[in-house]
Amino acid sequence: MSEVAAQVETLEAPARRRRGRPSLLFAVCLLLFLGVVFLAIFGKMIAPQDPSAQDLSQVLIHPNGAHWLGTDALGRDVFSRLLVGARSALQGPFAIAAISMVLGNSLGLLAGYRGGILDTLLMRWVDFMLAVPALLVIIVIAGALGASYWLAVLVLAVLTVPVDARVVRGATIEQVPRPYVEAAKTLGVSHRRIMFLHIWPNVSPVAVANAFLIFAGSLVALSGLSFLGLGAAPGTPDWGQMLGENRALLFANPWCVLAPGAAIVITAASVNLLGDWYYEWIVGRGASR
Amino acid sequence: MSAAANGHDLGGPLLELDDLRIQRARDGGTIVSSVSLAVGAGETIGIVGESGSGKSMTAKAITGLLPPGVVAKGEIRYRGRNLVGQTERQLRSVRGHEIGFVLQDPFTMLNPVMRCGKILRESLRQDRRLSKDEWRAEARRRLAEVGIHDENVIDRYPFQLSGGMRQRVAIAAALARDPQLLIADEPSTALDVATQREVLALIKGVQEARGMSLILITHDLRVAFATCKRIYVLYAGSLVEVGDADDVAAEPFHPYTQGLLLSEPPADQRLRELIAIPGSVPTPDEVATSCTFAPRCRWAAQACVEGSPPLREVGARRLSACIRLEEIRPEMATLRGLAQLEADPVAAARSENPLVVVRDAQKIFTSGGGKVAALDGVSIEVGANESVGIVGESGSGKTTLARILVGLEKASDGTITIGDVPAHDYSKLGRKDRQKLRSTVQIVFQDPYSSLNPMLSIGSTLQEAVTTHDRRARNVDARVADLLESVGLPASYAKRRPVALSGGERQRVAIARALAVNPQLLICDEPVSSLDMSVQAQILNLLAALRAERGMSYLFITHDLAIVRQISDFIYVMHRGKVVESGPVEDVLDRPQHEYTVSLLEAVPRSDGDWLVAAET
Repeated sequence: MSEVAAQVETLEAPARRRRGRPSLLFAVCLLLFLGVVFLAIFGKMIAPQDPSAQDLSQVLIHPNGAHWLGTDALGRDVFSRLLVGARSALQGPFAIAAISMVLGNSLGLLAGYRGGILDTLLMRWVDFMLAVPALLVIIVIAGALGASYWLAVLVLAVLTVPVDARVVRGATIEQVPRPYVEAAKTLGVSHRRIMFLHIWPNVSPVAVANAFLIFAGSLVALSGLSFLGLGAAPGTPDWGQMLGENRALLFANPWCVLAPGAAIVITAASVNLLGDWYYEWIVGRGASR
Repeated sequence: MSAAANGHDLGGPLLELDDLRIQRARDGGTIVSSVSLAVGAGETIGIVGESGSGKSMTAKAITGLLPPGVVAKGEIRYRGRNLVGQTERQLRSVRGHEIGFVLQDPFTMLNPVMRCGKILRESLRQDRRLSKDEWRAEARRRLAEVGIHDENVIDRYPFQLSGGMRQRVAIAAALARDPQLLIADEPSTALDVATQREVLALIKGVQEARGMSLILITHDLRVAFATCKRIYVLYAGSLVEVGDADDVAAEPFHPYTQGLLLSEPPADQRLRELIAIPGSVPTPDEVATSCTFAPRCRWAAQACVEGSPPLREVGARRLSACIRLEEIRPEMATLRGLAQLEADPVAAARSENPLVVVRDAQKIFTSGGGKVAALDGVSIEVGANESVGIVGESGSGKTTLARILVGLEKASDGTITIGDVPAHDYSKLGRKDRQKLRSTVQIVFQDPYSSLNPMLSIGSTLQEAVTTHDRRARNVDARVADLLESVGLPASYAKRRPVALSGGERQRVAIARALAVNPQLLICDEPVSSLDMSVQAQILNLLAALRAERGMSYLFITHDLAIVRQISDFIYVMHRGKVVESGPVEDVLDRPQHEYTVSLLEAVPRSDGDWLVAAET
């Protein structure tokens, strides 16, 4: 009996998560994410020092009471730059996730619900967009128009929308033949209403979870572009930018490289886990799978 | 309950359950609160119960296949050895070798990427090595035992076989290691009526030929009566009645057993009214401290809710959990008499002004290059205020016809008029005509679990139905409340979501949604076939009452002749896309002309043993 009980114990863990009881991990992720959001809004006010103020007499000092994470090669306070950098870390990914929620979901719903030639055309376009090497396009565009944070955001959004559309289309196709959709059709409910009021709430677990993934993915992608100098303008407090500028200082003052790197990884991971948790929670509330 | 009461006369039971309890480990929720039973060698018993009764979980507990997070307590003794708490390795020596298991769904039970021969080979004993020819001969022999004489089946994949054939292969696989006991969990439920009888007859035949013991798990008392010697009636996780099949069929000793029997309409006569059991099956924990059936029992008294009554002996080899049995026996008999009352014969004349006229409707589906005619020249009529039934098995085209009538499919050819609007292709109609059709014809689908949007509250679903055709509707909330009331649900249900409703309640909401536009024709596509027997009668009564009240026409689509007899005046029998017979319901069912109608009628489950015997030939 004890062996059976032990087996039951281990198999119980996923069941508990499915039931939507918040786990410790979830609480930690939520706190971390809310913390970053708070910094993105109020970072400038609570930063102990001006993130751009250079002090060449205080170059590369190690963490101390005045500079919690030390200073970089130009004597700027790393801790303050980290706090202020939260804004550029979040606003781009937020814009990308929002654009793909609106455009990608609409296109996906339309393609999945209407089917036929519209579906074929949209999906071939998606195939084409997926075949385009994103990094190359951004390098070319940034080379032609000059690097800018919002340009990178725009290009990433354009490349992400088709991916989102494909995911939502797949989920929509699964819902369309269900009797509740057919019942709405036989009642004479308008197509728009069926798509957005009936089908969307049922694909929303997938759509919203996907938006979380897009958010986390774009955060990493934007940081990468800033690292390469294709995103945020030089000098702005941006985590990717900091990582790029200071990469040579890994041994001189590891904090000014490791801190922004850790911030990127932790924020992206917690957003991913929040997306996972949201999906399980909403499915547990009776959304059809 | 003592095991002695159960059949020791057969010389020591092969399998014995003693106070088996099954619980969810997570929250301690009860699935089965107490089951004790015994199966002797060569004996056939039936466990009868509705969904939620715990019958399948009992079967899974016996074979040690309970899902993760579910634990069994008590004793399951197989040849005196307790299986509860044994390790997986120990259980494997019992599973297959000693106890075979056949499941309900032949579509998912066989591995889709294995050929049938391979499936059988996997199941055969591993202890002796067979040459290629030898095992092929063995497979052929095994298939012949289950009535498959076509050797090519060995090389086919499951998806290339019909449902009945698949179930036969599954039975052959379950029998491959020559088990002493076969557990069949609803082996025929997913099959067509005719196939259903063949599969049951096969299982029964094999059981007799091999002298094997059999546990048949079913929701259908008549199937159990025809197949089994001893019947165990399970309700909300505990046994309410135990007895020999003939005795229980003659006089049930528990109000629930009687309720189940009366809920099921007979195929040979139209009743004045079905005696339905009110409410729906509770969870075992909801009724843990009273008689499990008390909340739904018409004879429930104070004593019934003052403690959980145990099974007690009430006659020779009979047990019942009803504490008021002696007092209420005469009343139960009276009710059985009342339930037999036949309805007045219905007018056989067709209505003068047809509401729906279908002429030579064709529907051709193209799949994988081939063309399949789902409808092949079908002509039907539904008059105003008429109840018309369409009977046929799956694949007969009856659902396709319904879908064309409500505009979910287009007819390939033929004419369809509803009212005076041509309706063979809704997409060619103007907005006004389409609106008119939508408010003339409504449909209730088969599966109440997917026909309501799970993310919308019941109130929102009904509000939408009200406002779609009447944009300036006032008092929408009051009308929603009226609709709920007209289908027998409290108005407070408007706030609930579909997950919080039982299957029967959901189907009531689906009916209310269809009624919202005051349709003249309600198409019911198998509206009760996924509901429990005790709920099925409620919905049939509701539909009959609504028609009397509102004067609607019904187009009632079903595979069940007994149901069509209760609800329809005129029927069409469909077979492979064609109408093979039509006429007033009494004429067709009492004096069938077409051989297909005859075979359908013979396949309807009857309590007597002849029902199965006839299928074996």
